[in-house]
Amino acid sequence: MSRAVSLALAGGLILGWGALKLPWEIRMTKDQRLATVGFSGPTAVAVREKLGQGLVLGALGGFRGLAANALMLQAHGAWEEKQWVRVRSALEVATLLQPRVALFWDLASWHMAWNAAVAAERYDGEESETRRRIEARKWVEAGRELLERGTRAVPEKALLFQRLGDLYWQRLADYQAAAACYREALTKGDAPPYLERFVGYALDRAGDKSAALDYFRELRRSMGENPDLARKPEVVDREIRKLESEIQGSFGGRTR
Amino acid sequence: MRESGRRILAVAENTFLEAVRQKVFAVLLIFALVLMGGANYFAEFSFQEQFKFLKDLGYATISLTGLLVGLLGAAQLIPAEIERRTILTALCRPLRRWEFVVGKYLGLVSLLAVMLGIMGAVFWAVLRWKEAQLIGMEGGEAGVVQAIQAESRDPRLWQAFALIAAKLFVVCGLAVFFSTLATSTTFVVAMTLMVYLIGHLQSVAREQWLDSGETAAWFIQLFLAAVALLVPDFNLYSLIDEIVAGNMVPWRATLEVLAYSGAYVGVLLAAAAWLFEGRDL
Repeated sequence: MSRAVSLALAGGLILGWGALKLPWEIRMTKDQRLATVGFSGPTAVAVREKLGQGLVLGALGGFRGLAANALMLQAHGAWEEKQWVRVRSALEVATLLQPRVALFWDLASWHMAWNAAVAAERYDGEESETRRRIEARKWVEAGRELLERGTRAVPEKALLFQRLGDLYWQRLADYQAAAACYREALTKGDAPPYLERFVGYALDRAGDKSAALDYFRELRRSMGENPDLARKPEVVDREIRKLESEIQGSFGGRTR
Repeated sequence: MRESGRRILAVAENTFLEAVRQKVFAVLLIFALVLMGGANYFAEFSFQEQFKFLKDLGYATISLTGLLVGLLGAAQLIPAEIERRTILTALCRPLRRWEFVVGKYLGLVSLLAVMLGIMGAVFWAVLRWKEAQLIGMEGGEAGVVQAIQAESRDPRLWQAFALIAAKLFVVCGLAVFFSTLATSTTFVVAMTLMVYLIGHLQSVAREQWLDSGETAAWFIQLFLAAVALLVPDFNLYSLIDEIVAGNMVPWRATLEVLAYSGAYVGVLLAAAAWLFEGRDL
């Protein structure tokens, strides 16, 4: 076989295969994105725009996990030095590199909404308490925004909805929003058993005692005659009794 | 056909034995040490984070080691044989050129498979060691023990391992393809590495090409089309990231990527065999 013929045959085969594989690759890419439920995370182009060239090669060369871990370590170091802006930028890029890792969103939001916000509240370089509170609120909002994005990137897991509920409860005192997040977490199937009671606690904290009572009664009914002890039916019964007495008390107070 | 198979196996066996003698197994020791060191480096994090770091490190080390073995091994295959003139001795026997190419590939892949097997075993052992260490540290509470074991004994890790192996076999196919074209080992290593890196951007180029319409200049479109048509999509293997993140990856998706890899290797070997047929030695 002459060199020209062999080159033509090999070239033709490679090109023909290229045309054949193209629709296959497109379909597989589409299927993979669908299989990772609701995933619409940043594309490689978005990553490329955000990062330096060297890191992009790491990110796209099959070593994305290592690059993201290096950023998490960098954020950890910055946290120890209380360099909050560095913590934030490193974590933002880590979540961008691996948007499907729930742990990253969780850790990033915890650093923002708890550690950085508390540090801002206690910052002794600012005398005005109002300014300190405004600054702290910005960090809490940054944490909330991260968790909102995280729940969109990993919508099939309970963890980030639970954390968002915690944030609404503990950092923003928005108990209705917390209850809504806990409810959403409970639809995911991997929520811890204690979380089902947190919806009721949050409604109670929000001041909507009758809604909380209805919720706990419904929860108790769902446990049946022989409840799973891990779901702590005795705690639910106690909450029902407490709420009943509080509601009766408040009606009594009003009629007096 | 049977005779052909026997000759291919003889070439494969010879290639494997020759490669084993080149002290490549020393890198396995380095791999084990890196993994052991890495396992303890992240001790101040939660156990979920520690396992995430450890798995990323393990897979990255396996990928990198496999890539190096594949690249350097393939570079030694045909160009070195031509340089040393030993290829003439081999081909003057009743051995067809395509049998020589396929045998060389199988020899290289066997070496890679053995190395992956050993690295996989070390990785498994390190995960179990970490499991015991963490259970000792976190206490014996049933829920925590179960969560730690779920991380270290996750059966999906084998899915990730199969994907890494398939990706490396495609890289070996590429290296064998370039080695039938090349006269120097540097060319084979450089070209394979370049295609490997571009392969991770292939899906970006493909989407740009298909979505750009009339807006991009013709030479840009031509370049993007060439990348989309000629380069494998290595982003398909990023399912590994999903597995490490603890997310569900259906076996169907994994098997489809494995089938894609098999088909790609077949095409590369057929093209390599044709190129080698027409080559003056």
